[in-house]
Amino acid sequence: MQQDQNILSIIQSRKSLLKDVPRARHYETEAEGGCGVTGFACSIPVRGKHIFEPSKQMHNRGNGRGGGIAAMGFDHRMLGVSGEILEKDYLLQIATLEEGVIDDLEQRFIEPWFRVDFSERIPHVTDYRDIPGLDVRPPDVWRFFLRVKPDVLKAFMAEKGLKGLSKRQAEDEFVFQNSFKINKTYYDAYGKQQAFVLSHGRNFFILKIVGYAEQVVQYYKLDDFKAHIWIAHQRYPTKGRVWHPAGAHPFIGLNEALVHNGDFANYHSVAEYLSQRNVYPLFLTDTEVSVQLFDLYSRTYGYPMEYVIEALAPTMERDFDQLPPEKQQAYRAIQATHIHGSPDGPWFFIIARNDTQNGRLQLIGITDTAMLRPQVFALHDGQVQVGLICSEKQAIDATLKSLSEEDPRVGTAADRYWNARGGSYTDGGAFIFNLDKNDQGSLERRLTCEDKFGREIKVTEGKVPYLPGRVYYTMEDEDRDRFEISNFFELQQPDLLYEYVKDGIKTWDYADTMDCLREIRAWALKGVAHFEVALEALTRLIDHRYPTYDKKPRSILQMVNQTLETIFRHFPSLEMEDEKATYRLIDWETRQFFRGPSNKEKVLVIDASLFTPEGDHCDSRLMAEAFYRGWRRFIVFALKGQRFHGCGFGPDTGGVRIDVYGSSGDYIGSGIDGLSIYVHGNAQDQLGQIMKSGRMVIYGDTGQTFMYGAKGGEVYVMGNAAGRPLINAVGKPRVVINGTCLDYLGESFMAGDPLNGGGFVILNGVEFDDEGHVRPQAVPYPGSNLFSLASGGAVYVRDPFQTVDDQQLNAGEIVGLEEKDWDLILPYLRENERLFGISIEKDLLKVRGETKGPLDVYRKVRPKKAADVEEDGLEEWGK
Amino acid sequence: MNRHNKFEFPEVIKTPSRFRNPIGKYRLNRTGDCIACGKCVEICPYGVHVMKRGRVFVKNHYLCVGPDCPEPCHEACPVQALSLKRNPDFDVMGDFRWPPDLLASTWHMAEFGEMPQAGLEYRIGDSGGGFDKLRLKFKDGASGHGSGPDGPDEDVDLGLDLNRRNDNAHRIRAEVPFYGGGMSYGSVSITTMLSRIKAFAALGTFCCTGEGGYPDELKPYDDNVITQVATGLFGVKEETIRRVKIVEFKYAQGAKPGLGGHLLGDKVTPGVARMREAVVGYPLFSPFPFHSVYSVEDHKKHVDWIKAINPRALVSVKVSTPNDVDMVAVGSYYAGAHIIHLDGSYGGTGAAPDIAKKNIAMPIEYAIPKVHRFLQDEGVRDKITVIASGGLRTPHDVAKIIALGADGVCTGTADLVALECIRCHNCESGRGCARGIATTDPELMKLIEFEWGTQRVLNMFLAWRKELIRIIRKFGMKSLKELVGRTDCLAHLDYMKK
Repeated sequence: MQQDQNILSIIQSRKSLLKDVPRARHYETEAEGGCGVTGFACSIPVRGKHIFEPSKQMHNRGNGRGGGIAAMGFDHRMLGVSGEILEKDYLLQIATLEEGVIDDLEQRFIEPWFRVDFSERIPHVTDYRDIPGLDVRPPDVWRFFLRVKPDVLKAFMAEKGLKGLSKRQAEDEFVFQNSFKINKTYYDAYGKQQAFVLSHGRNFFILKIVGYAEQVVQYYKLDDFKAHIWIAHQRYPTKGRVWHPAGAHPFIGLNEALVHNGDFANYHSVAEYLSQRNVYPLFLTDTEVSVQLFDLYSRTYGYPMEYVIEALAPTMERDFDQLPPEKQQAYRAIQATHIHGSPDGPWFFIIARNDTQNGRLQLIGITDTAMLRPQVFALHDGQVQVGLICSEKQAIDATLKSLSEEDPRVGTAADRYWNARGGSYTDGGAFIFNLDKNDQGSLERRLTCEDKFGREIKVTEGKVPYLPGRVYYTMEDEDRDRFEISNFFELQQPDLLYEYVKDGIKTWDYADTMDCLREIRAWALKGVAHFEVALEALTRLIDHRYPTYDKKPRSILQMVNQTLETIFRHFPSLEMEDEKATYRLIDWETRQFFRGPSNKEKVLVIDASLFTPEGDHCDSRLMAEAFYRGWRRFIVFALKGQRFHGCGFGPDTGGVRIDVYGSSGDYIGSGIDGLSIYVHGNAQDQLGQIMKSGRMVIYGDTGQTFMYGAKGGEVYVMGNAAGRPLINAVGKPRVVINGTCLDYLGESFMAGDPLNGGGFVILNGVEFDDEGHVRPQAVPYPGSNLFSLASGGAVYVRDPFQTVDDQQLNAGEIVGLEEKDWDLILPYLRENERLFGISIEKDLLKVRGETKGPLDVYRKVRPKKAADVEEDGLEEWGK
Repeated sequence: MNRHNKFEFPEVIKTPSRFRNPIGKYRLNRTGDCIACGKCVEICPYGVHVMKRGRVFVKNHYLCVGPDCPEPCHEACPVQALSLKRNPDFDVMGDFRWPPDLLASTWHMAEFGEMPQAGLEYRIGDSGGGFDKLRLKFKDGASGHGSGPDGPDEDVDLGLDLNRRNDNAHRIRAEVPFYGGGMSYGSVSITTMLSRIKAFAALGTFCCTGEGGYPDELKPYDDNVITQVATGLFGVKEETIRRVKIVEFKYAQGAKPGLGGHLLGDKVTPGVARMREAVVGYPLFSPFPFHSVYSVEDHKKHVDWIKAINPRALVSVKVSTPNDVDMVAVGSYYAGAHIIHLDGSYGGTGAAPDIAKKNIAMPIEYAIPKVHRFLQDEGVRDKITVIASGGLRTPHDVAKIIALGADGVCTGTADLVALECIRCHNCESGRGCARGIATTDPELMKLIEFEWGTQRVLNMFLAWRKELIRIIRKFGMKSLKELVGRTDCLAHLDYMKK
């Protein structure tokens, strides 16, 4: 009861604030579409420059009209205050857009109420024009460490009727309301703009400018400034008047900073909902109301994180039915109360939160119920732990690479990557990285990750990462040829070389593994035949899943990748005319020496590292151009999210093959007609859109809207597909997905009759465990919508326990498999076995150790006959 | 600047109706009292009466201009054998937006390549709003009637530069300020599609395929085709994207924003299903959004993708007109679009549900000035081509929307009317278009011959061109570009001083 009273009193106390707010007749949002968001939490404080790389990578997700960062969890010595002050004081940052306004502001809003322990004007680059591309002068920023004066607080509590609150709660509210007053006084989104509050929570700050996020780091000299959590946002606003720094993300609640990718449709309704609770937005973006919601739920209502997430992204439909009854009861109550405040439409939040009550820092990612925005989570464990959340996987890899260059304890790949299923019963669509204090005095914190329901996400324990910094000695009595690999090269046996290394890992330590890889590299550089053996063996080491024993798979992967990249970089460059070589290298510097292949040259190896992600100078454009000059085989490596590989080749490209290594980007193979693409690793979003024919093999997961509007082709995916695969696919696409999908698989699928030349999807619903064994996932298809509105084609699901039910289907029906269906899909499963080592007999047809017949294991989802088709007299067309 | 002078417009070839009795506004009745004196044949300026083997017939009722006639035959008839009345069939055609007068005058243009001389209201409809309440305001106070100063038509520049970004894409120009809007193979017959495209090609401009694929029959006109990439991605292939000079993204249609394309199951004949690689007899819904585009940066990526496939293609973005259409436009510009195509709420054929057609989206005459001004304030107005569509029926509508701030327009229904559409709104009922236009039925399709259809559309647009030149001259201008955004050349009847 006391708590209810407190909630009421806080809400009531804000009423007076709103009296003189110039109320707009409409709550008008400044829609801004999506943006690029990125964030990471690290067990040790790391430099601001590491947010630089991923921000730059996502340039194309912003337009330079708003960028911002938030940093949380500092070393007090870097701020010139004591540890206690950092912990307990509020860190108020004020941006001023006019000279002199800070004096007035201090006199009216700071001095009377606060005890200021420390204040400074934060340093910045002298002339903003020294930073290339920065057109608008960023605001000057003042930083205050302060506490509310005891008598002021007492009076505030008495006046506002906040007796029931703890002193700290009341002080929080005072700071919150004071900042509202500052913004109200000095900032009018439509008119005069003098100053605004950037942040006012504890142990974190925000900076934002009109520009790109990485320019914030540059301008305010944060390259070397250290923090545990960094989040950044590239804004893509499209309306003129919001191009002011206060409109950029992150936005604040009290102790949290939120960045947002998306654009929800019910801004008005959310703003109305908030106004009923005396919360009023001042900056006209949907992001601001998002964080106001978050603050309302977490601080005013005091909800636990699970309920906060539920209120933002409610669990719906079939997912709701799958919840245990007690959760259903609680969630129903939350939804009944807060559904009007729930953002509707595409959104994805990354939140940095200082959970002051529990002394932990948090990085939170929440995705919308319909899963409309791309998002990737990753966890890197080891001596340094990192949790990462980004719009694109390549931004995660870029962050890790940047971190690993400074601190070798960080690897270039994470242990786990995954997508969230928004509003689901499986993970709740949200993940939280917690940074807890280890012991007094140490800056190091312990990182854990959990989902909405508090289930911990872990990496396999007992595996040691590789530390490149360490010196590994070769024993003196070991002679140079201690690895017996010469035969594999001389006899051209890449598969045996692969097996040799795979088995060797069991007994070798990292030094041995490294030595072996070095030797493979030495062999590879001896000639084309040898190289091809090495390439195939190393590629398999990247592609396949196998036990790594005491070593971390990511470390093995890192070493193999490095070896392969080194080998690639040894190829003669295309600019050297006289060289005779089958493989020729081209990179950003040599791209103008571009020509067709001479008769011996067969493979163009593209070092993508410096190419732009899209546009006239991107590597995929170069590749298409190379195709027209006669090249037919391509290897592209060291990718950093470059897009559109395989696009622009035109029709009839059978016989062309592209191998993709590194962090590949969006739209791979969108439109291909004949060629083959092999993606060695995870793929991103929009793969194989409108694909006509050809082949794609993905040794990993694939992202959103995979094969949207595809017309054909053969595609094999080793892992999962994210949301909306194969929407509107027609013709005859034939796809094997070994994992599962988030939701909306095969919506409006129209691919004819599979038994008669049409298309289909095989969904195996399996995954690899850490030992490289295939095991079934919990359910083959957890989503609420399968094959909705489909009129042709079929989905073959490996579903021995018949978990897929009618509730998931809308216009589809589920039937048993027939012999002819099995005959149809068997060749694809055989190819799948050859590619990924997922055996039909030993893995797919084994159910709990027992071998079953295919008709008992697979089920078929096919479209219901449309009612009007029958009566409409198809005989007219000879049917 | 002389390039357009080299372009030669085709000649008008008189192309009468394909039906024996074209629908006219008036009927002349001839009683048995007629003495076949030939007086009526002699005085009628329009060729309504014909003398044949000593007898006089009313051969062309539809050419009669009724009371507007300077020499009324029924008055001149020495024996009062002629009487004039309105044709009752005429008044049941069309609707308020396309009243019978507009239909008949469009048919007249399609037949003769001229504006009707009299008897028909050819400039506005009866909707009581929108373009029908706007008037062109000529300086001397004259209305749109009468002819302007003389001179060769070539002196007036109606051309439209489509690429204003000065980037790598093709520098192309439409010789007239309009091009053909997207009507898919499936929603209209292949003959209709070809007629339109050939006519637009002859006019030195473009025509959009719609989202139903790119039939091979269109190949000869590749340079004048705009291929549409719509949410269903039907028939969209790399090959088709590479073939053309302009690629159009259709995000929404003004007639039904928030809804995707919808081809009725009945129209999905084997031929249509083959083109779209779908299943015969099932309705084809396009999703309302692009599933890969939920935000502006996704849109940019989408545009980049098209540019990766066809680096020299111009990108046109077709959107409907929500309240924040200005922002959509500027967002499209920053994402790399060359053309922003705003589709207002008046358009749409019968296949769009009425509830959508009549209730949502902003009328185009509100959206265009809003976007025009916003782009001006942003300083990018001269970097992007603004195309308006949605219920543009006459050259006067074209002039009005250009004066409101568009650069050019996109047509659709008018083309079908030139093919003798009577606006019966039966497009949604399946293949049964009574006039063989919006059908995929193999028999009904035969109602139109390709050559006839091409010439009809061509004639209508040649008439539009003439009329536009006349309007431009009357404003004392030399080029249509001068008219862009000149709202002072317009008057709205509701706001005029009485």
